[in-house]
Amino acid sequence: MRNPYLPLVATIQSVKEETYDTTTFRLKIDDPKERAAFTYRPGQFVEVSVFGAGEAPFCLSSSGHGRDTLDITVRKLGRVTSALHALGEGGQVGVRGPLGNWFPFEEVAGKHILFIGGGLGLAPLRPQIQDVYRERDRFASITVLYGARTPQDLIYRDELTEWQQAEGMKCLLTVDVATDGWEGNVGVVGTLLSQVKLDVPQTVAFVCGPPIMIRFVVQDLVSLGFGEDAIISTLERHMRCGIGKCNHCMMGDKYVCLDGPVFSYRQMKAMTELEGE
Amino acid sequence: MGVSPSRAHPVSRGRLCLKGWHAHELMDNSSRLTRPLVRRGGQLVEASWSEATKAAAQGLRDVLSSEGPEGVGVLGSARGTNEDNYVLARFARATLGTGNIDCSLRLHCFAEPMELNGALGPSANQGLISDLDDSSVILIVGGDPTEENPAVGAHVHRARARGAKVITAFARRHALGRVADVHLPVRPGAELRWVGSLLNVVLVEREGGDELAALRRHVAELTPERTEPETGVPAAATRRAGEMLAEASQAAIVICAAMALSPQGSEAAAALGALGRVRSAQDRPKFAVLSLLSRNNLQGCRDMGVTPYLLPGYGRLEEDADVERLQRAWGTPVSRARGLAAWEMLGRVKALYIMGDDPIRALPQQAETRAALEGLKFLVVQDIFMTPAAEMADVVFPAAAFGEREGTWTSLERRVQRVRKAVDPPGEAREDWRILADVSGSLGKPMPYSSPQDIFEEIVTHLPLYAGVFYPRLGVNGGVRWQAPQAAAPEAPAAAEAGFGEASAAAKTNEQRPLLLAADPTLGAWDGEVTVSRTLSVAAEFTVSEKDYPTGMLCVSPADAARFQLRSGRPARVVSDRGEQQMRVVVSDEVPEGVALVPYWQAVRMQVMAVVTEPKTGRPLLAPTPVSVEAPK
Amino acid sequence: MTARVLPLNRVDEFVRRLLAAAEVIAPRRVDGGDVFYGPIASPGEVAWDYSTAVEPLKRFLLPQREPILRFSTNGKLEVRPEYDETERVFLGVRCCDVTGVSVLDAMFGGEIVDPYYMARRERSTFIALTCQQPDAHCFCVCGDAGPFLKTGYDQQWTALKDGMLVEVGSERGEALAAANEDLLLPAQMEHIKERHRLAREAETRFGEYHAYAAAAMRKLTTAEVADEVWQQAADRCIECGGCTFLCPTCSCFTVTDRWEAPGRGVRERHWDACLYSCYSREASGHNPRPEGADRMRGRFFHKLSHQWAQRNGRHACVGCGRCVVGCMAWSHMPAVSEAIRRGAMP
Repeated sequence: MRNPYLPLVATIQSVKEETYDTTTFRLKIDDPKERAAFTYRPGQFVEVSVFGAGEAPFCLSSSGHGRDTLDITVRKLGRVTSALHALGEGGQVGVRGPLGNWFPFEEVAGKHILFIGGGLGLAPLRPQIQDVYRERDRFASITVLYGARTPQDLIYRDELTEWQQAEGMKCLLTVDVATDGWEGNVGVVGTLLSQVKLDVPQTVAFVCGPPIMIRFVVQDLVSLGFGEDAIISTLERHMRCGIGKCNHCMMGDKYVCLDGPVFSYRQMKAMTELEGE
Repeated sequence: MGVSPSRAHPVSRGRLCLKGWHAHELMDNSSRLTRPLVRRGGQLVEASWSEATKAAAQGLRDVLSSEGPEGVGVLGSARGTNEDNYVLARFARATLGTGNIDCSLRLHCFAEPMELNGALGPSANQGLISDLDDSSVILIVGGDPTEENPAVGAHVHRARARGAKVITAFARRHALGRVADVHLPVRPGAELRWVGSLLNVVLVEREGGDELAALRRHVAELTPERTEPETGVPAAATRRAGEMLAEASQAAIVICAAMALSPQGSEAAAALGALGRVRSAQDRPKFAVLSLLSRNNLQGCRDMGVTPYLLPGYGRLEEDADVERLQRAWGTPVSRARGLAAWEMLGRVKALYIMGDDPIRALPQQAETRAALEGLKFLVVQDIFMTPAAEMADVVFPAAAFGEREGTWTSLERRVQRVRKAVDPPGEAREDWRILADVSGSLGKPMPYSSPQDIFEEIVTHLPLYAGVFYPRLGVNGGVRWQAPQAAAPEAPAAAEAGFGEASAAAKTNEQRPLLLAADPTLGAWDGEVTVSRTLSVAAEFTVSEKDYPTGMLCVSPADAARFQLRSGRPARVVSDRGEQQMRVVVSDEVPEGVALVPYWQAVRMQVMAVVTEPKTGRPLLAPTPVSVEAPK
Repeated sequence: MTARVLPLNRVDEFVRRLLAAAEVIAPRRVDGGDVFYGPIASPGEVAWDYSTAVEPLKRFLLPQREPILRFSTNGKLEVRPEYDETERVFLGVRCCDVTGVSVLDAMFGGEIVDPYYMARRERSTFIALTCQQPDAHCFCVCGDAGPFLKTGYDQQWTALKDGMLVEVGSERGEALAAANEDLLLPAQMEHIKERHRLAREAETRFGEYHAYAAAAMRKLTTAEVADEVWQQAADRCIECGGCTFLCPTCSCFTVTDRWEAPGRGVRERHWDACLYSCYSREASGHNPRPEGADRMRGRFFHKLSHQWAQRNGRHACVGCGRCVVGCMAWSHMPAVSEAIRRGAMP
């Protein structure tokens, strides 16, 4: 019987500082057979162990297409993330996964795809953006709206530049609070909606960011006429197993780790109602 | 490995609090001290037992020779066993020859009746926790038992479920206050005044015996109407509470541990305690008065003489017979010096030996406590974790914890119970009494005990109060209670001397300082406590206030929040005549208008609150302090 | 799977044979008078006349603290799981507790299997002892978990005049009976009748506690419970964890790592309680269930709602009454389920 709590050993291939407190780690599973079998889809997550410190869930921030590594983008916040930040290239960790469900892809073919990310929320969206862009002829259009608190908090700056210049994709950025040198939009990410022309009935929105941001953006989308099934998000919760046994991520009648982390707004509404919100 | 409750136990009856359910996490815990440590070149390094013991003895010997016995002090443990504390008392009075022996947590105890009144006899609960089960009215004063003594709180809840009426009297409308039949938001500092008005209702207008004639006279003028402006409690509510108590055939009064930290809290407790002498129609005590303690063996620690003005077993320093009894038992001279209290030692002694005590957490004015510890010539700490005091020590000894050794504890009901060894201590950790015996031996005063039972037999033989406490009966079903003599009956002259709070206490707020800031020991009562904040799985439960409110959690009422433009989660600058502190706000309807509350454990770190000294005991207490509060721009 | 009878004077021999083959867990009286399920060394230790054990069977399948992985970083990083492969027979255990195990089975089995639980579970045999005198706190009828079971056991014994009626409920139970056929007699109609009579009588002996799960379930499922009910329940809860740790079906756990020696450590899991304030607190400090009322709502929704009952095969209260005993305030299942129905806590 395969033990779902037993991590695979992986080595850190490279480390990229995205901001002053956020770093992307590229991990490569040591065992070649396991590595080959590890296929993942945008929206899924992994449980990463720094043995001795503990284990924590992280969304996969890379597309698995054509590569045998996986990325996680980690903000330094607590015991496990601090221990991870102390590791460099060559450091060894444990990986369990891929866990959870994934963003719809085939199901949204032919639609206009709208990505709205806030802060670290761009991390789970990035692989979906990459996969959708790779097969962009299957989609009506691709728009990325991204914002962070300040310019120093924007992640994936290289990709952002590429996306802004790419053909077949529109990418707009904003910050809540501008600092010296910022010449772009200022305002919360929802304000970018007024800068794009939307064919609402034919658009699917993927939204991810801090809980407050998701709430406000969803309100904006709903008032623009988006249906509850056309708004997709990914939730995070404190987790201790990632496989629906420890109960920590229980929300309403669902487990975020098993039934999610990807949920439609309709599903999220139902869950939060049961939580009394 | 885990913990199970016992239904057969007369107090816990099959229940455990959060701390109880996780008690096993002290074991197999990688934060435990496992080897002796000695300071070399400014760092604590591992050493052998022999080296560390010699270093401890040498350091103490040096200070004894330059400063004399008055220059050394010893702090004992409210969480250690009776045996450990008894041996510590011997270590202090016989080995070091000093009377400077105390426990920081004695600060959190009501002044003994003998301190207040000069009466003989130890303070001792006559009431039992099980008296709550039979009471039709229960008054809870000065704190929240569900936070400080959950096992007692459980009895209150069950009595309530069976129909008992519950009255709570405390500034904050705590959890029990929210379900009580009557909650009385007594203004901080006005507790004694309010008790006077309660006694006015209970005693003055009732037919009754003369047991409390003098008390009745003292409170004759203290009608609830007269005291309402100072106490903040509507007169009708006090009257209702008093009538409920007076009319009950059987009632209970629970005096919470937190009240001991209020100025005049001791006098208020003594006045309430006087009600214990009222007889019911069946000629039984009508009021069971239960005074709570804040640690598992605070009672035992005092019983064993970890006090500067008593010998073990409440022997008097002036009584030749008491002193000679111990000299015979120990085979050595015994110091009769009336020593310094814990709060007096810091800053006055040059060497300190700390066993299982946390003066930095417990004593007010934390900055001074730290400075005093740092200024010592020599410091030895014996404990299970590296406490803040241990980090400053010259020698650190690793001790065995609960579940890793045999011994006895004495509860607030004077119930002496065995604690048993379930696992070996980690690494080289040893029982506290054994460590002390070795250091004592190295100082030329060997202590030939072979086991905790051995020590206990000596206790029972030589301390009259513990006679009849047979070791074989201590293991199950709640052990054996030692018999306390009826305390002599001064009719609460202490409370009367204090004018029932007239000069009060209730510090006056004014336009510049419109809010009364009080330190609340029931808020986060266990936060930062060493035995629970280093558990493996629930440490977060005891560290949240530090994480979320590291500079202080300021609790205000919604009305005051509106008045001073304060918002939950935002900073607020609190200023008193003494100093200021920037804290983070919690707006809560648990707080009465005109009052602001901060957890006691945080208040001790600040320079904001006034400190008053309890007359006769010298206990330094944080007094409710008028402050101004504003949100910084 | 026919019923047999084990004559009284052969019970000890049956137990001796069990002891020869496996660890036998049975109700035992300990110092002080409590009855706990625990390993026995001889047949005489079984407390056949007990009413209820202080704790359910959970500890033997899901310990309060257990190692799940050991890791070492000396040189190459190595990670190894650790399993408990002890054969156990649970003898004379109560029907409510056996039913509790079936809820844990649903939780730890299913599509993703918890190998630590399963290693123990697969090696466990359950011989339930029907209950003829419920304890004052019991309400297993409300939990559809006793005092006698129709299914869900390997064997179910009932103490009759002549001996134990042995009902068989699974292949494992049948194999155990077959292996000891020399001790057993066929059950007669009078034995079956006595068993059913005893079952009916037992149902009349319950005390004042109950939890009408169906009614509570309806209100929970349709979110008809007023917020005040949860606030009142939270005011009567001190978040000790007692109800959770004593409950046969509660199984929340948290996981921690610690070092035992340089380069060598262990990952352990510990019982956790959804009522604890930091249970769902994230590293950022954000807490989706910041108030006691939120956590109360979450707990009872998980225990009694139709949605969770569907996921686990049944609702999660077996009516053992231990939460009533272990609650440090007054927010146990009977109190809260009644509040759900009536709209207010007492």
